Amino acid sequence: MKRHSIAPRPGWQDFASSVGFEFHTIDNERYWDESAYYQFSLAQIEQDLEAPTEELHQMALDLVPDILADERLLRQLAIPERFWDFIANSWRNGEPHLYGRMDFSYNGTGPAKLLELNYDTPTSLFETGFFQWVWLEDQLMRGQLPQGADQFNSVQDKLEQAFAQLPLAQPFYFSSVTESIEDKGTVDYLMDIALQAGLDCRYIQLEQLGDIEGQLVDMAGFAVNGLFKLYPWEFMLQEDFASTILTSKTQWLEPIWKLLLSNKGILPLLWQKYQGHPNLLPAFFADNSQVEPGWVKKPLFSREGANIELVTASGQRLTEDGPYTDSGYIRQALAPLPKFGDSYTLIGSWVVGDSAAGICIREDNSLITKDSSRFLPHIILD
Amino acid sequence: MKLRPSKRSQKAALIFMLPAAGLVLNGCAEKEVTAQVFSTPDECAAFYNPPAQCQAAFAEAEQLHPKVAPRYANKQECEADFGAGQCETAPEQHQQGSFFMPMMMGFMAGQMLNRGGLAAGSGQATSQQTAGATGRNTVPTQPLYKSRDDRNTFRTATNTAVASQSGTTTIRPSAVQPKPATLARRGGFGAQAAQRSANRSYGG
Repeated sequence: MKRHSIAPRPGWQDFASSVGFEFHTIDNERYWDESAYYQFSLAQIEQDLEAPTEELHQMALDLVPDILADERLLRQLAIPERFWDFIANSWRNGEPHLYGRMDFSYNGTGPAKLLELNYDTPTSLFETGFFQWVWLEDQLMRGQLPQGADQFNSVQDKLEQAFAQLPLAQPFYFSSVTESIEDKGTVDYLMDIALQAGLDCRYIQLEQLGDIEGQLVDMAGFAVNGLFKLYPWEFMLQEDFASTILTSKTQWLEPIWKLLLSNKGILPLLWQKYQGHPNLLPAFFADNSQVEPGWVKKPLFSREGANIELVTASGQRLTEDGPYTDSGYIRQALAPLPKFGDSYTLIGSWVVGDSAAGICIREDNSLITKDSSRFLPHIILD
Repeated sequence: MKLRPSKRSQKAALIFMLPAAGLVLNGCAEKEVTAQVFSTPDECAAFYNPPAQCQAAFAEAEQLHPKVAPRYANKQECEADFGAGQCETAPEQHQQGSFFMPMMMGFMAGQMLNRGGLAAGSGQATSQQTAGATGRNTVPTQPLYKSRDDRNTFRTATNTAVASQSGTTTIRPSAVQPKPATLARRGGFGAQAAQRSANRSYGG
């Protein structure tokens, strides 16, 4: 695993804008950063990332029935009691899931350490599946990368297969929060792939969803029988339409059982069940008190690095503010992100259906990766 | 030399995210289908349709009428749209009295009536039966209305003009799907996003 500088493609910003990737630069800060790339060997990809991703995914799935069968665990994960049966049914009925991303601390040697599962609303999907793929093809064509360079990135192929094969209601609706152009970008990308797979898809702003006698409806009042929502389940369960979730004939993506896996509480539960697994970090449920050196504290529900507290082995304490202060916490042993130059580097590993589907790389000048962290492309070359 | 399989997608094409492709999603592929429009079951029968089927379609539309007809808080507002004497009380009450709705002025028979083996209908009947499973590709039998200022035109409960005379007409099924007259509650999702506006994304 190496970091190489490379000249950005001339005019890539115009291309990005032309495909709706407007958030490549945010507040004059680079988000998509192609001034460098990472190189992995095939063995690093297949043995250290791909295989552990699929193994960890199965381990996480195996925990779902354990949690559903144990009220104490459901309480520890702060799952509202009125939804327990509903979530259990969603799991028992085998409601299909589409995708997820796990984040790793990995420096090229030794086992990748699982930091967390983003199994409900993962983003940076378009950047991974499309934009970094095009970057590789362009740079190969321009002779700027060695011939034979590959990329661990079958995200789009696998999503298209999933949309073609999953038993989904039609029309299938896609929704996101109106104000977020980034989330709209992710949803547009998914809709584009779904369309290519032959699905009848419609977009509806999340706030525009309606309720008629307990059935979720679109703007014209038609029943929404299938809905992809880029919005956290734990939010939805607290909002006015929470009871609509229980009554509406709607197939959800992600299905509600994934709420259990996107919860940071899954990390201590994985550790309890598979203590000592090479890809797991010691993790425990915790309260809101300060953590010791060498530990990280995370809220059960949080996104994009918000409300994380981290104390390095030498006692340096880093915190990230955020809006997720209303749930319990876990603590996890610190596996500091490797440093390449001035950047700390995190690897996101995608799961589509139940298969590992590729990686994305985020860089930040802090040990805590955030939504503003730069996205860099990668290649595979032995 | 043996080529190892690539670890990346075979292609990464986009359709509608590309600038010129906005039209792809606009339902341009939807086929028009035929339906028949009549004021009464007798008129339907006079168009060489089996009287029993005309009666059945009329009864189906009549049953749907109180569920889908547009609602007005009082008679005056309803008659302003549909004309004097053209409104009746709706099943629901509000605090000041009854809701009002326009009277049913005709019906649309969506399923092809069996017209004694007329060739025109046979192919369509098959395709409609197939499409029936998905629901949105057929024209449901439903009540029709006429507005005060345009007494010739038959309109659906959602004010889509479907014909200006009785008999066969062609329509896009998605334009004539009946929906409950009840108003939907909206805005039930998204409140947490508004409260936690620190984030620019609600994913992760």
